[in-house]
Amino acid sequence: MRDASAPCVVAPLPRRRTYGKHRAAASKTNSMPRRFLPLILSLLALGAFLTPALTFAAEVASEVKEEHGIPLKPDILFQLGPLAVTNSMVVTWVVAIGILLCAQLATRKIKPVPTGLQNFWEWLVESLYNFLENMIGRDLVKKTFWFFGTIFIFILALNWFGLLPGVGTIGWGHHDAATGAFHIDRPLLRGANANLNLTFAMACVFFVCWIVWAIQANGVGGVFIHIIGPKGETSGILKVLMVFIFFVVGWLEVVSILFRPISLSFRLFGNIYAGETMLEAMSHIVPSLAWLIPIPFYFLELLVGFVQALVFMLLTAVFTLLIAQHEPGHEAHH
Amino acid sequence: MILPILAEIGGSIHVGLAALGAAIGVGLIGMGAASAVGRNPGAATPILVQAILAIALAEAIVFYALFLVK
Repeated sequence: MRDASAPCVVAPLPRRRTYGKHRAAASKTNSMPRRFLPLILSLLALGAFLTPALTFAAEVASEVKEEHGIPLKPDILFQLGPLAVTNSMVVTWVVAIGILLCAQLATRKIKPVPTGLQNFWEWLVESLYNFLENMIGRDLVKKTFWFFGTIFIFILALNWFGLLPGVGTIGWGHHDAATGAFHIDRPLLRGANANLNLTFAMACVFFVCWIVWAIQANGVGGVFIHIIGPKGETSGILKVLMVFIFFVVGWLEVVSILFRPISLSFRLFGNIYAGETMLEAMSHIVPSLAWLIPIPFYFLELLVGFVQALVFMLLTAVFTLLIAQHEPGHEAHH
Repeated sequence: MILPILAEIGGSIHVGLAALGAAIGVGLIGMGAASAVGRNPGAATPILVQAILAIALAEAIVFYALFLVK
């Protein structure tokens, strides 16, 4: 299944990628948003790629599925060859295309004194850049900002798009014979981060980037020393003991590093999915007040969507900082 | 009386306990970070980094409970 879908998923990528590069080369402008384009697209491809892979979520879903709840697994809308297009993927694509269009529109005519859309993008990108620069340092932010900037804007846009009215309420359904109410079985749109495949794909992309950055900063041997080597100043017999202790503790560190993609993806998925479930539950709690009760929770979800995008970006940035930074003693010598 | 209750609680109590512990841990870290920023607002960014890291470590316990223990 996965092999069969591979050519279909990968095929559109090189074309779009060369398109992005060609445009950037043609205008020769220093526009940050355009650098994000290839990454967003590769994230999408990965998200689609992993859709058949994580089936355990579906098994859990069948066990805990409630009458009014949102299923854990996104619904399949139609088959595009071997690739099953789900409602979460539709949202992912719509948002990604929206971001691309906005970035293209904003940077079409670069003005020295920006106004309107260009001003907004510059404000967003610059404030993100400065924030990250304070945190992970000037050299590292130059190298890695394309990833963190993309991930933040992409996740934030997805989270807030999922709160729009119509997401989860427009789709195919049936009339309930008993109550006469209309029930949606397959919504057309579903919050994209309420889909474990997308969050796991993003975490995996980060994991690969993290390994590459770690090896670039320290070398292969340096990464191992960083993880399982002794830290701190000791000498003599104590040093031997410390080497042994840090070697053993290092394996705990390895486990926690291997768990990072899982915890990153489940943190985002869990928060957004729980938010959607809560909104759904709140609109069913008193049928006559369904228009009023979810409103405070919508504002809560706006906040959660922002905080989770920030947390994902911050955590990935801090993980990168930890592996790429040199020992504090080293830095004093420079 | 207690036995049927225990039987009802079943096999997932470790996840609940891990979530409880992680929630307490995250709360304590947030409290510490907030009061640290209150004492020294200039150090907000390094404190944020430390706090996020510590929160990630505390949260990871829940995922260990979810996936490693059956």
